[in-house]
Amino acid sequence: MSRLNEAEIRRIAELAVKQLEGQATAANVEKVVHEAVQRMSGQGAAAAARHERMKNVPVNNHAKGQRIILTAFGANSIGILAGLTSELAALKCDIVDLSQKIMQDFFTIMILVDAGNSDVAYEQIRERMARVGESFNLKVIVQHEDIFKTMHRV
Amino acid sequence: MRIELPEILETIRMTEVEHFDIRTVTMGINLKDCISDSLPRLKNNIYEKLMRTAAEHVATAEKVEAQYGISIANKRISVTPVALVGDGYYAEDFVEIAEVLDKAADNLGVDYLGGFSALVQKGFSKGDLSLIRAIPEALTSTRHVCASVNVATTKAGINMDAVYLMGKIIKQTAEKSADNDGIGCAKLVVFANAPEDNPFIAGAFHGVSEPDVVVNVGISGPGVILRAVREARNADFPTLADHIRRMAFKITRAGEFVGRKVAGLQNIPYGIVDISLAPTPMPGDSIADILKAMGLQDVGAPGTTAALALLNDAVKRGGLMASSHVGGMSGAFIPVSEDQGMISAARAGHITLEKMEAMTSVCSVGIDMVAVPGDTSAESIAGLIADECAIGVSNSKTTAVRVIPVPGKTVGEEADYGGLLGIAPIMPLSKIDNSHFIHRGGRIPAPVKGINN
Repeated sequence: MSRLNEAEIRRIAELAVKQLEGQATAANVEKVVHEAVQRMSGQGAAAAARHERMKNVPVNNHAKGQRIILTAFGANSIGILAGLTSELAALKCDIVDLSQKIMQDFFTIMILVDAGNSDVAYEQIRERMARVGESFNLKVIVQHEDIFKTMHRV
Repeated sequence: MRIELPEILETIRMTEVEHFDIRTVTMGINLKDCISDSLPRLKNNIYEKLMRTAAEHVATAEKVEAQYGISIANKRISVTPVALVGDGYYAEDFVEIAEVLDKAADNLGVDYLGGFSALVQKGFSKGDLSLIRAIPEALTSTRHVCASVNVATTKAGINMDAVYLMGKIIKQTAEKSADNDGIGCAKLVVFANAPEDNPFIAGAFHGVSEPDVVVNVGISGPGVILRAVREARNADFPTLADHIRRMAFKITRAGEFVGRKVAGLQNIPYGIVDISLAPTPMPGDSIADILKAMGLQDVGAPGTTAALALLNDAVKRGGLMASSHVGGMSGAFIPVSEDQGMISAARAGHITLEKMEAMTSVCSVGIDMVAVPGDTSAESIAGLIADECAIGVSNSKTTAVRVIPVPGKTVGEEADYGGLLGIAPIMPLSKIDNSHFIHRGGRIPAPVKGINN
């Protein structure tokens, strides 16, 4: 089989993101895409066999207990989203999901973050994100995801 | 299982605006293995065990608070009823034991320690009597220690000797702390059918059938329940109850979750969540406001007891669905000084002790944080306790009295205790003589439960 071109690889990646849904972290996507490319390129039956074994195993690579929900709200201003997300990137936190609304100049954002790859302690993430919030006059609340699951799901 | 934005915003609104928090995470600690025939050794054993067992309690609770963004208002400890641990010692020895408990609580950073307690529903042991006699001094010379005495159960009846004795002890405790409007009495509860796993102060103690160490949780959420009631608007009663039930589910889940985390991180078994709605003097954190939102002009109006019954039952339905282990008191608290709505109702004369007595039959505790005139006799206080016990014993439920005869003050005046204890307007208590009844002595027999009325 000939080598895959860039557009095809991107398509595989997009498909993988869709398949992985909430667990689409950079590491996960990369792994799945890598395996797919290897398999399609016919490079080694071992990779295909591994893929076959992994097929029924739920992909869940994030370190247990490291999914965090960041909520921020306050008056809207330019650069809030950039400020928050670039600080998250600096902390090596993956953004898994994000939803944002502006209601009558009131900015509200919720970011689901996978901090499994971050080497920074939870307390520090909390503190640094709060500091970014302060610079935009935002209230930033950082909470572990489990509290929401507990309260809102039977 | 995606979490939706409105769900996240609701949680944040509950904690940031509506004062939802975990009222207390209480570590129950068994002290039976501290018993010794030497007082210094007993005191040392108690101190060592508390410091060893609860070393990480406050730090762990704070960590969980930060991680999940739900504040834990109080970190507390309850211990085996001290009358058992120190049986055989004299009253002055018990004061020393209370001081050791206080020292440990202080060094551990907990706000209160409950369990300076005796269970005397059927009679006194020597240790029980010594402990009870030590209460006025112990509560004055310590800051964190709380005392409770169980004087009645459905199975044993009402120990009227203990009821009268407690009337006198409450008077003495108030006198000892006269400079602070008798604040010692705020740390003293007289119970009927006391639960052994209650995490709430001042009545918390670690029951004899409990494991060596356990973590129990008490929730607090009048503010969020108030919103649920308001959102029900003019709905009929089933719909109103449904709104309350759904909200109670959420707050109980949060309570149980936090309790399990605090217990799990310390490798301690998790016990129960107490689903009592506990108010604070903060505006909007009031049980009275919930009853008013249901459609009463003020608490004390005819219908108040029915409204409270509805509230209590709906909270239980939601709470029981949310947790496998609900325990403790698990009913609404209606303390006067700790609830802004109750304070204003008492000031206006809308709520009376007689109405509160009726409300006791459908909620937990009963006459709680009530200030009465300083010249109230021990017999009158004993009569109040006996009435509450009768309701508890006959209805197989917990009832309690935490009453403060404020020295030198009378109806129309107030006692300001500050913080969570709040402001207590002095309420009138009937002065009709009951001394011949109280002085009889002995036990009121356990009630017949077969022919219920």
